Amino acid sequence: MVVSSSSSLISGDMSSLPSMVVDDDSASSSSGSTATAAGTVVSSSSLSSSSSGAAMPSSSAMAMVVPSSMNSSSNAMMMNAMMTTSAVAGGTSNTNTMTMQSQFSSTTAITVPQQQQQPQHSQQPPQQAPTAATTNSSSACSSSLDQQIERLRKCEHLHESEVKSLCLRAREILVDEGNVQRVDAPVTICGDIHGQFYDLVELFKVGGECPESNYLFLGDFVDRGYYSVETFLLLLALKVRYPDRITLIRGNHESRQITQVYGFYDECLRKYGSVNVWRYCTEIFDYLSLSAIIEDKIFTVHGGLSPSINTLDQIRVIDRKQEVPHDGAMCDLMWSDPEEIEGWGLSPRGAGYLFGGDVVAMFNERNDLDLIARAHQLVMEGHRSMFNDALVTVWSAPNYCYRCGNVASILELDENLQKTFKIFDAAPNEARGAPVRNPPPDYFL
Amino acid sequence: MIDVDVTDTGTIIGNIKPHQFLEPPPILVPPEGGKIANGDDDNYYGMAMAVDNDNNDNIIDEAIDEEDALRTIEKLLGDDLPSRIEAATKLPMIAKALGPQRTREELLPFLSDSVDDEDEVLEEIASSLGKLIPFVGGKGHASVLLQPLELLLAVEENVVREKASTSAIAISQQMNDDDYQTKFIAMISRLATKEWSTARISACGLIPVAFSKMTNNPHMQLEHVTYFANLCRDDAPMVRRIASRNLGSLLNTVVVTIGPSSLSEGGLVWDILLNLYESLAGGDQPDSVRLHTTQNCVVLGQTMTLIKEQVLSSSSSNTSHEGGEALLRINMIVKRILPLIVATIDDRSWRVRWTAASKFASVVHAFSSLDGTMDALVSAYEKLLQDPEAEVRTAATFNLSEVAKTEAVVYPAGWTGVGGEGVGDVDSDSRRIPVALRLVKRVIQLTEDDSENVRVALAVVATNLAPVLGKDATIKTLLPAMLLLLRDSTSEVRLNIISSLSMLNEVIGAELLIESLLPAILDLAEDSKWRVRLAVIDRMPLLAKQLGTVIFSDRLLSLCVGWLGDDISSIREAAAKNLKELTALLGSEWAVQNLLPRVQEVMENQSYLRRMNAVQAMSLMATVMDESTAQWEILPVLLEMHCDPVPNVRFNVAKGLGLVGPLLNSSMYECQIVPILTLLIEDADPDVRYFAKQSIDLLTAFFESSNLD
Repeated sequence: MVVSSSSSLISGDMSSLPSMVVDDDSASSSSGSTATAAGTVVSSSSLSSSSSGAAMPSSSAMAMVVPSSMNSSSNAMMMNAMMTTSAVAGGTSNTNTMTMQSQFSSTTAITVPQQQQQPQHSQQPPQQAPTAATTNSSSACSSSLDQQIERLRKCEHLHESEVKSLCLRAREILVDEGNVQRVDAPVTICGDIHGQFYDLVELFKVGGECPESNYLFLGDFVDRGYYSVETFLLLLALKVRYPDRITLIRGNHESRQITQVYGFYDECLRKYGSVNVWRYCTEIFDYLSLSAIIEDKIFTVHGGLSPSINTLDQIRVIDRKQEVPHDGAMCDLMWSDPEEIEGWGLSPRGAGYLFGGDVVAMFNERNDLDLIARAHQLVMEGHRSMFNDALVTVWSAPNYCYRCGNVASILELDENLQKTFKIFDAAPNEARGAPVRNPPPDYFL
Repeated sequence: MIDVDVTDTGTIIGNIKPHQFLEPPPILVPPEGGKIANGDDDNYYGMAMAVDNDNNDNIIDEAIDEEDALRTIEKLLGDDLPSRIEAATKLPMIAKALGPQRTREELLPFLSDSVDDEDEVLEEIASSLGKLIPFVGGKGHASVLLQPLELLLAVEENVVREKASTSAIAISQQMNDDDYQTKFIAMISRLATKEWSTARISACGLIPVAFSKMTNNPHMQLEHVTYFANLCRDDAPMVRRIASRNLGSLLNTVVVTIGPSSLSEGGLVWDILLNLYESLAGGDQPDSVRLHTTQNCVVLGQTMTLIKEQVLSSSSSNTSHEGGEALLRINMIVKRILPLIVATIDDRSWRVRWTAASKFASVVHAFSSLDGTMDALVSAYEKLLQDPEAEVRTAATFNLSEVAKTEAVVYPAGWTGVGGEGVGDVDSDSRRIPVALRLVKRVIQLTEDDSENVRVALAVVATNLAPVLGKDATIKTLLPAMLLLLRDSTSEVRLNIISSLSMLNEVIGAELLIESLLPAILDLAEDSKWRVRLAVIDRMPLLAKQLGTVIFSDRLLSLCVGWLGDDISSIREAAAKNLKELTALLGSEWAVQNLLPRVQEVMENQSYLRRMNAVQAMSLMATVMDESTAQWEILPVLLEMHCDPVPNVRFNVAKGLGLVGPLLNSSMYECQIVPILTLLIEDADPDVRYFAKQSIDLLTAFFESSNLD
């Protein structure tokens, strides 16, 4: 009885991994290659092309290095560091470049330029020198950053070059965060946003602006809504400006593959005329933390638990700087859902698992936790507790997809970890930027 | 080729309900001085008024050499579309480099050959051509520019033609009279009779403009009005639509150019243009043609008003007979037009009715000084307010206060005069009432409208009726309706009504406000929608002013302080600002007695968010207090909060000190604020350090500069 009611209420966001649902074979065959190929889209067809295409991508990677480093004479130091990294990455993941490109052309029918820059993967150590450089100049940068934040709050675009430098600075901050990022109370926990920019603005109106209130966002910033670019960049800019006031962790939509299907890729292409901004953003996705722990008592993650994870330390050792894999612990953290069952079950999403109350109880007991807070599933009433309050789902996209009619919520934790849910509705039309009037009747013809 | 505008702000409004009104449609008020531009923003005539001064003009000033020009020409010939577009914007530069003769003999023929290029390029060429007069050899040669323009005026793309029209008109203004007659007007004649409909569409916009210079040439005038009449009867509905859109401006130009004599029988207006009015408003036309009837009638009304004023002002002279004749004609014309307006109210297409509804204030204003129109128009307007379509009712409602403002008088609704036709009869005239008084009866009905959009619109405009009605009538007739709206089930209606209450306050005074509106406001203050609460907070300072300190402290004070503990951050922030306003209004002493103890309570709240808001409220209140109160009452409380365990509270203390600091003398600053800020500058949290640094920098600069003084 309980089961049926829960599954009918928690039913939204049934996005699924496009290729994974189709056949288990490709997913399992890719599992072997994830370690080396850093888990990008590896399917059987692309594996076969990897040997023949080995020479070409490295030259294309080189071709990119030259003009870029010429353009960026101003902050040459940081750029060169980055370019070196990308050159190495390009060299080591040749096969990767090829596979990605074949995937692009098959899924989106948009010709992606040959210079497609690949993400830096696990092998790269963090760049220490630029970190020092940014810290020194941080006060000088903060005013231009404040200006950018002001523009983003008005839903204005950043220039492509601004996005690039913002992402570079964000990387310096995110790279130092743990897979289980420690967060201090008080903090406000927020669930999925999905590019609903004006509803994010509404969220800040209800919960307080950053930095006045502290925030922890549980991922899924992009896709589905009309303003993924502005939404993610605003949150990222806030993160760079106030790293101690806001924490962002990764959701299943912070992925190259998913964003190509659910809107972020197309939006970047439409708004900027090229996919560069998408590339910068998806590179940053790889650096986002996987989960957070508040005062050692509340564990927060986008999706849920994984059968291959029993302790938080097992999360801490995951090499997270990669595309979201098709399976394994990292994938499960972003894809799993709680369900009124015993033990583990297969997820209808095609990735992650369903997990029951006993799993949650055992996990909380073993890790000395009070609560798991997660997002990932639409809840019509904004939030929902399960398993005797051992787990809570927080959903922060009101009127999801602009038509679900749900309310959203955020969870305020005060300094003593007292919970208060704030419920809010979608932003009213007049708060949604461009004033829209009845169109002139001529347009109906 | 990816056709993406990089500067696109990405505003895709997909979820907006199409019928939602966000702001009232613009209400057209006739421009001062009788120059009448067609109300639509999409006509050629209006565009000609403002020949755009792009920054492209600057290009001409820059020193350019021939090489640059050659490079640009190459771009214009090239395959790359963006660089062709760019080159097309630089035509003045090219022309300047080539010199007048080569421009005339090479560049312009080349442009004439380029009319099969992409629309984006043509658009730029079309607008650049308007700026070329100085580079073809001055005004005497201006007519050569018409050759490429004539071709552009016939292309398929609407935007290109509009740009070309703008340029052609701009050029024609500078031509000498001879060229104007022989070249420009001849071009229009050709366009009007071209086989290809797009050329004829362009002619529709140009004829009204060109007519103004056809003085003293009745033959040419008749010829062109006949062209226009043919365009109005064109086979292609597109042409008829554009002709219909320009009919008003043609009528205006004809009357202004020829003067009152044009109105007489056998004149262009009576014989041709009014027939066109009637045929274009006819039921056999598509609704996109009929759509323009309302605006055309507005222009007609404005024109007739203008002529009437001219005639009346000159009637003292010996032309009084002609003057009387002209007034008679005006009445006859208005009588012919009135049925057309009234017919739009009953049009079968809701778009036509919607257009009429959204422009009705303009209609009423245009005809208000013409006799015998208002009764028919006001009845028609009342019918619009009861239209079956909610959109039409909403549009009509937005016009309510503007319609009511007219000074004309009408018979009460449903009044059937003695003998019906007794207009002008003294007895029946005395029964007339102001339009506002008649329409206010409709307000009560509209408060019960099924559509919330109508009620929202009503809430926006209804209080504007109060000054028109005067105090007694407002209390008797409008107030009950307002009270109904204050209890409306839709919060947006309530929100709009309390936002517009000040108009009502001014008319009926504060005493009545307490009696009738206070309960409603108290109710709204606890509305579940936070935006409604926010709007109530915004009204508090005004209420405090109007109610006086005693009543306000008694009835509304606890509400104001209570908002500091609201669930919604925006409300708490607004509450803090509100306390500042109240302090400024009611004085430091009042604030210390009434507000401080309550705010201090909040400073001990469990939640850091509440404590933070209390700190914000304290600092804001201090900024409007006198020095000693700020120093002895606020500062100690504020300083105490600097050791709060939560960094967010601490950095708000730092921010607050930055606000309070400038109020104090420098010794107080040195011994009280500096030690605390110095402490905060060493805080473990980087944001506390940042804001402390910011405040100390600000204050140091402030005290340094004040020491210099």
